Amino acid sequence: MSEPTAPPEDEAVAHHDEHESTGVENRKLGMWVFLSSEFLFFGALITNYLLYFGRDYPQGPTPAEVYDIPFTSVSSFVLLMSSLTMVLAHNALSRRDQGATRTWLLATAMLGSVFLAGQVFEFTEFIVEHDMTLSTNPAASAFYVLTGFHGTHVAIGVIMLLSLFGLSKRLGGLSDRQHLNVELVGLYWHFVDIIWIVIFTVVYLLTATGGG
Amino acid sequence: MVAEEHHVAHPKPSQYVKIAVLLAVLTAIEVGLFYTNNTLSLGWVNTAMLLILAALKFVIVIGWYMHLRFEKITLSRFFSFGFVLAFTLYAIVLVSFGVLALNR
Repeated sequence: MSEPTAPPEDEAVAHHDEHESTGVENRKLGMWVFLSSEFLFFGALITNYLLYFGRDYPQGPTPAEVYDIPFTSVSSFVLLMSSLTMVLAHNALSRRDQGATRTWLLATAMLGSVFLAGQVFEFTEFIVEHDMTLSTNPAASAFYVLTGFHGTHVAIGVIMLLSLFGLSKRLGGLSDRQHLNVELVGLYWHFVDIIWIVIFTVVYLLTATGGG
Repeated sequence: MVAEEHHVAHPKPSQYVKIAVLLAVLTAIEVGLFYTNNTLSLGWVNTAMLLILAALKFVIVIGWYMHLRFEKITLSRFFSFGFVLAFTLYAIVLVSFGVLALNR
């Protein structure tokens, strides 16, 4: 008589991993904790900028003197709308509409790319037109480090979105198991958006000295 | 499945679009306030209004787009802890270095 076999170890682990005692998937909980820790990261960079922006420097302009507010407002609008397309991608996958999911994922990646292109344009304008480089003064350094790290986060998000798009295209759609991946990328993307909401208000609108 | 139970309560696509329109309007008001302040010098009123508008956008994105208001309270606690910790820590730093006083 054969004895009942134990489930494979990896299967048992996988089941255990999905729902812990918190009732939340571990990966999802991990993403929220990671995003929570990112407040400290970006908070440090924003604080660093605020410590330096209002001082007088003998060399070069400060970022507050050279901001192009109308241009940055459009960039902010683009990033806000990318949050809409991201949530629509997640919603489409919940309805198992694979075509719409791909479309909205691609749209989000494109809007993120437009935002990045805008940031490259802004940096180029500051360097070429206003001669404000990373080493011009501490305020400029703080500005480039803050917005550069935010841009890096956006770029990582775009890569993740394009990976999901490519995976969906290759497999003919995303499975229920991959639903959580889309949700996690969505959480990351929206977080990048809320950080920009803070940067746009605190770093740009509240410290700019001119009308742009 | 836990995730599917939560999906039932999520807004519809049309509601997401309405939220996006609201976010766009709030951003437009922010930019309008910026230019109004350049002309009328609103001072602390401008600062307070801009911060309130940013906080509104912040809460709307977290609550509706990140679905935090539909999730378990555990996630809200983890997320809020990081925010409150960062906000408190850096507010103390800014006050210590006189930056908040400098901007008044």
